[in-house]
Amino acid sequence: MNPSVGRRSLGLHGANRAIWPAVWFALLMLCVWGFPHADGVLRSLEPDANQVVYQRASLASLLLQHLFVVSVAAVVTIVGGVLAAIAVTREGGRDFLPMVAQVASLGQTFPPVAVLALAVPALGFGTLPIIVALVLYGMLPIVRNTLGGLQDVDKDIKSAAIAMGMTPWQVLRQVELPLAAPVILAGIRTSVTINISTAAIGATVGARNLGDPIIAGIVNGNMAYIVQGALTIALLALTVDSLFERFQERLRSRLYTS
Amino acid sequence: MIELAHVTKRFGDVAAVDDISLRIAKGKFCALVGTSGCGKSTTLRMINRLIAHSDGDIILDGQPIDAYDPVKLRRRIGYVIQHTGLFPHWTVARNIGLVPRLLKWSAADVQAKVEELMKLLGLPVDEFAAKYPHQLSGGQAQRVGVARALAADPDILLMDEPFGALDPITREKLQDELSRLQARMHKTVVFVTHDMDEALRLADHLVVMREGRIVQQGSPLALLQQPNDPFVESLLGGLERGLKQAALTRIKDHMSPMGPTLPAQSRIPAAFSLRQGLSMMLRDHTDRLTVVDQHDVPVGELTLRKIVKEAQPEQGKVRES
Ligand SMILES: Nc1ncnc2c1ncn2[C@@H]1O[C@H](COP(=O)(O)OP(=O)(O)O)[C@@H](O)[C@H]1O
Ligand SMILES: [Mg+2]
Repeated sequence: MNPSVGRRSLGLHGANRAIWPAVWFALLMLCVWGFPHADGVLRSLEPDANQVVYQRASLASLLLQHLFVVSVAAVVTIVGGVLAAIAVTREGGRDFLPMVAQVASLGQTFPPVAVLALAVPALGFGTLPIIVALVLYGMLPIVRNTLGGLQDVDKDIKSAAIAMGMTPWQVLRQVELPLAAPVILAGIRTSVTINISTAAIGATVGARNLGDPIIAGIVNGNMAYIVQGALTIALLALTVDSLFERFQERLRSRLYTS
Repeated sequence: MIELAHVTKRFGDVAAVDDISLRIAKGKFCALVGTSGCGKSTTLRMINRLIAHSDGDIILDGQPIDAYDPVKLRRRIGYVIQHTGLFPHWTVARNIGLVPRLLKWSAADVQAKVEELMKLLGLPVDEFAAKYPHQLSGGQAQRVGVARALAADPDILLMDEPFGALDPITREKLQDELSRLQARMHKTVVFVTHDMDEALRLADHLVVMREGRIVQQGSPLALLQQPNDPFVESLLGGLERGLKQAALTRIKDHMSPMGPTLPAQSRIPAAFSLRQGLSMMLRDHTDRLTVVDQHDVPVGELTLRKIVKEAQPEQGKVRES
């Protein structure tokens, strides 16, 4: 059975969906501001630890750091990935298409931890190595979807656009990109959502972010720390993912109604 | 005027179009006919420089097409294809107004032109202007495709199997409308089809292609009367050729004056074809029809003898001499 049909009949479709980003965001804020005061709840996870509330940094500041790292990586990945995919689908760049596709795949097969290990000697500890790792890791979904989206534009439509006397730039701007936009956006969504979780490993090389409580929890055997970091990351990922979903819906409906 | 002189297009080592020469006078309707893969679309796409020809010259209004800027060239050549190539994310009105907008017409001029064309092609503005291509039937989408091609008043129109995907009834309707439009607008049209009947109905000049070469070209009647090759003859329908020829011949050009005998019962308008006359004779079991004008006034008569003679002018001539 088509799952969307079932969901619609349950009334979770359409307008109700619009509240999900708000729901996840509210829960995220509850974690960030609530955990420091949830000593009792957290202690039930680790009755013997002398500290259960993570206090080396506030969750709010870690959240901002986390968002910063992921955003910088996302901007670089989106600009780089989309531009590269556009370039190799143009007349002059076609020869590089297999190469770009392969490099992007390689970026994802290479584990981010290994990238970190290789990047630290060159770039030092801190935020930069994790941004590099995220860019490499997040490149594939964006490149692959942009390539796919552009290549899937009906060749009759492209041919008609050229035959009508559109310049290559007009064909790209007015025909190819709008038609590929939903697929490209889906790639960006995957990339960013994955990287919100992946960014946590940055804590191992001294980047301050929501990975800190998790690493500290592993090192000290403190489950309460892990829960604070993991739950906050998960809710951040859900918030951003549901925002993307809303955005995709808006794009889809705009494509055929304006 | 469009002239192709010894034009060849090679893809790798294979010549898709092989040394073809062809001249299409201004305002004439030229049909390229042939089985699938014989190089018709390739020929068309060389004319608006969607692909570059490998050899020979393509001359447009006295100048080789390579002398034109390709983008400007394409904006003055209308182009219609089978699956319309309409932009699915644009409304009908926006699709039709594309080339005028590219040419930087004012918004008011674009809108006026779009509405004029929609009326001309039987697409009520209120109903269709805001629709999207996926909301149209095949016939409606094809009308939009034709309107888009005509929007900037190009004097040349290239059409690549525009009605190929339509059901026979819609196809015939659009063929009639295209005939009517052409009688009014006198575009220079190059029309690609694999349907010989369509070509015979529409064309002033018919070009039969096979494996990248032109096998024969001439007026539809000339080809019907003298196919110079078994392939052309089979395309023309073999035994059906006589009927096709009769379909292209108007009764008014071949009727006899009213005879002294009583007028025949069956009446047929003078504007109909010999084929329709023949069909009426078969239906009414008669060998004589009364030909009438548009007011149903008898103006002559048509006999089976006459049709048989007209349909085979060569033999007729032999017998007379
Ligand atoms: N871009 C291309 N690359 C290679 N071969 C092509 C290309 N376009 C057409 N051909 C070949 O050229 C021949 C003629 O094609 P086409 O002009 O499309 O035929 P038609 O329109 O008469 O069906 C076919 O054999 C086709 O496979
Ligand atoms: Mg073709």
